[in-house]
Amino acid sequence: MRKRLLSVLMVGAMASSLVACGQPNTANNGGSNSQGGGASADSSAVRLLNGKPEIDSQLQDLAKLYKEETGNELIVETIGGDTNASDELKKMYQAGNMPDIFVIEANQAASWDGKLADLKGEDWTNNTEFELVDDSMGTIGFPYTVEATALGYNADVLKAAGVDPSTLTSPDAYAEAFKKLDSKKDELGIKAVLGWCAEPSNLGWSSGTHVFGQYLDAGLAADDTTYIDLLNDGGQVDHDRMLAFAEFVGMMNQYSDPDLLVDGTYDEQVAGFKAGDYAFITQGNWCVTSPDDVDFECGFAPYAFEDGIDTIIAGPPSYWVAYADGNVDGAKAFFNWCAGDSAQNILVNDAGLVSPFSDCQYEAVNPFYASMKTYIDAGKFSGWHTMLKKDGLQNQTCQVFADYAQGKLDAESFTTTIEQVIKDYYAN
Amino acid sequence: MGDFSVRRKIFSFGCMVIGVAMMIAGLYMAITLTDFWGVRGTLIIAGCVAFFVGLYFFPTFKHHRGIINFMFLFPLLFAFAVTVIIPLVLGIGYSFTDWDGITLNKFVKFDNYTRMFHEPQFLWSVLITFLFVVLNIVLVNLVAFLLALLCTSKLKGLGFFRAAYFVPNLIGGIVLGYIWQFIFSKVVTEILNSQASMLTETKTALIGIVLVYVWQYAGYIMLIYITGLNTVPGDVLEASSIDGANSWQTLFQIKIPMIAPTITICTFLTLTSAFKQFDVNLSLTNGTGSVNFMGKFLSKGTQMLALNIYDTAFVNNEYAYGEAKAVFFFIILAIVSICQVRISNKKEVEL
Repeated sequence: MRKRLLSVLMVGAMASSLVACGQPNTANNGGSNSQGGGASADSSAVRLLNGKPEIDSQLQDLAKLYKEETGNELIVETIGGDTNASDELKKMYQAGNMPDIFVIEANQAASWDGKLADLKGEDWTNNTEFELVDDSMGTIGFPYTVEATALGYNADVLKAAGVDPSTLTSPDAYAEAFKKLDSKKDELGIKAVLGWCAEPSNLGWSSGTHVFGQYLDAGLAADDTTYIDLLNDGGQVDHDRMLAFAEFVGMMNQYSDPDLLVDGTYDEQVAGFKAGDYAFITQGNWCVTSPDDVDFECGFAPYAFEDGIDTIIAGPPSYWVAYADGNVDGAKAFFNWCAGDSAQNILVNDAGLVSPFSDCQYEAVNPFYASMKTYIDAGKFSGWHTMLKKDGLQNQTCQVFADYAQGKLDAESFTTTIEQVIKDYYAN
Repeated sequence: MGDFSVRRKIFSFGCMVIGVAMMIAGLYMAITLTDFWGVRGTLIIAGCVAFFVGLYFFPTFKHHRGIINFMFLFPLLFAFAVTVIIPLVLGIGYSFTDWDGITLNKFVKFDNYTRMFHEPQFLWSVLITFLFVVLNIVLVNLVAFLLALLCTSKLKGLGFFRAAYFVPNLIGGIVLGYIWQFIFSKVVTEILNSQASMLTETKTALIGIVLVYVWQYAGYIMLIYITGLNTVPGDVLEASSIDGANSWQTLFQIKIPMIAPTITICTFLTLTSAFKQFDVNLSLTNGTGSVNFMGKFLSKGTQMLALNIYDTAFVNNEYAYGEAKAVFFFIILAIVSICQVRISNKKEVEL
């Protein structure tokens, strides 16, 4: 009898522990409503999935301010570093645990077809030209920052060498400037003319996406999609333009720091530029974010691989989108508030972002900002269409840049090889 | 059946029926994403408990022991099914679709399977993976066995050597890859006074991966060999030395045959782990390195099979295609492992 009592007690304990395990889960489901995805209208909390870990604390401040000013709740979850936000999102989607706002790159929009809310007609759309518009889904992306990439330069070094960056709009001008800088290296105290790194395993995103993006967009108007359309039509490449681009890259290879070119790292590249070792760097405004990092003036010059190219690439590299089955009204309210003055204050002054909104009164602290602004105000900026290429293409093309940097290829064979690699990648 | 009271029968069947009904109701809510009164989870758990209570009181003497066994095994079997069996079945299912991780548009039959054999990059990955496996089985076992011989001899400071050889295995593969990347690109280039590290060239990068892998894994295999060598009976060794066997003869005719089971385990371990090589590959080269193969310029000369699958699914966002490659990988691994174990077992019997 005693034994039986004991076993009944044990079973009871087991059962109650199981039920206890189940309990918080169900309470959670009922509470946040994010799990079910069905009925979420009554809940006002908005979940935002952020893909930039470096601005996590500023976004937490933003959430606090949002609660203070409007009484609505914003929950910021941050994914990043080596974890890819889009992978995490797929897991969240499969688990039925989607955030209301999340981050996507432009070419990922297609895979979320039909699952994103149309933000057309929202107030903030009147104050920016950088929203993400999709032909079938409408206005889907809220731009939270603008980034620019071109050849970043150290204005003090160029001045000392007597090179006027505004004249750098043709390959010949660059050839002359590079030659001049190279001959005065010791006098200027620089290690090499360029900090350009074609190492593929860690910096493939730089050569394969950003530098390659110059072939797609340099010199074109922001909404001109000629070369990206050609590329996405079975991987076609404009041979003449690519050849001119290849010759320019060849010049970059020639004048880059040989210690950096083939197997450098991002940190070395940026540290070298910050220390004043290089006159040019092949990154964007994200590489130097604070005025305290550098004791010289920074600016952008275009990748002028053809005569007359005078644009930099500028735009949002990624967007915040609202999940159609989530709390859309809450997300819309947040976007409108986020485009306003108090939110922009945090994003621009604390997080160091560049505001995409024309009515924003804050000047970004980014050392490249002044130069970016002159290009944007003059309308001399091209789009980030490189983000629309087929997923993973950069990991194929970056190796071609690396082989070129190692001297295994010349401009002509670089062009034919990259054409073959792109075509095969699209064909498969 | 006649020995049981009607009340017990009713209680048992009642519990089971109610339990099943509650679980079905809970699962229905989970599938349709509805949750009345927030009881979805409670329903499933309570239903499960009720079912098992009913099962425990099931009116049978003959099968009672079996039922108890099942009840104790069930949690483990359930966990195994959820984490291994169901994903395997689902994965095979997904490999016949065009799933990209978010939406599934259509079934594509065997397209993913035929496609992989037309992809030069994938074929290259298969080729170098096999090469890598063969090289590693030989090198890891050789180095590990020599180290084990060293560590079972009468040297001073053996404890230190054993620990030192084993430590690389304690460092995670990702960290190890980054450490060696630094060594190859900063230290080795300094010593050899060369401009570029050996990781920038496909052939030398592959050698680099093999080196790092042997360095990491030999210590672990060494430990198993040490255990094996220590089980060789002392009287046999003593008898051989009395009979005048020299150290070579002792090694080849006594020690090695005596540790044949250990060799089986070690080759099996190195074989499967080399096949699944991923972390060092990812962090050391990330698969980069150009190579000309089948008349094509390939960008991922050092990309092995596991990394190729990972890249296909997570970088190129082709989940279903990656899944098909993973199924192919699973089949290769299963065949190779079974063959290997069969052959080794046969040898052991012959000895």
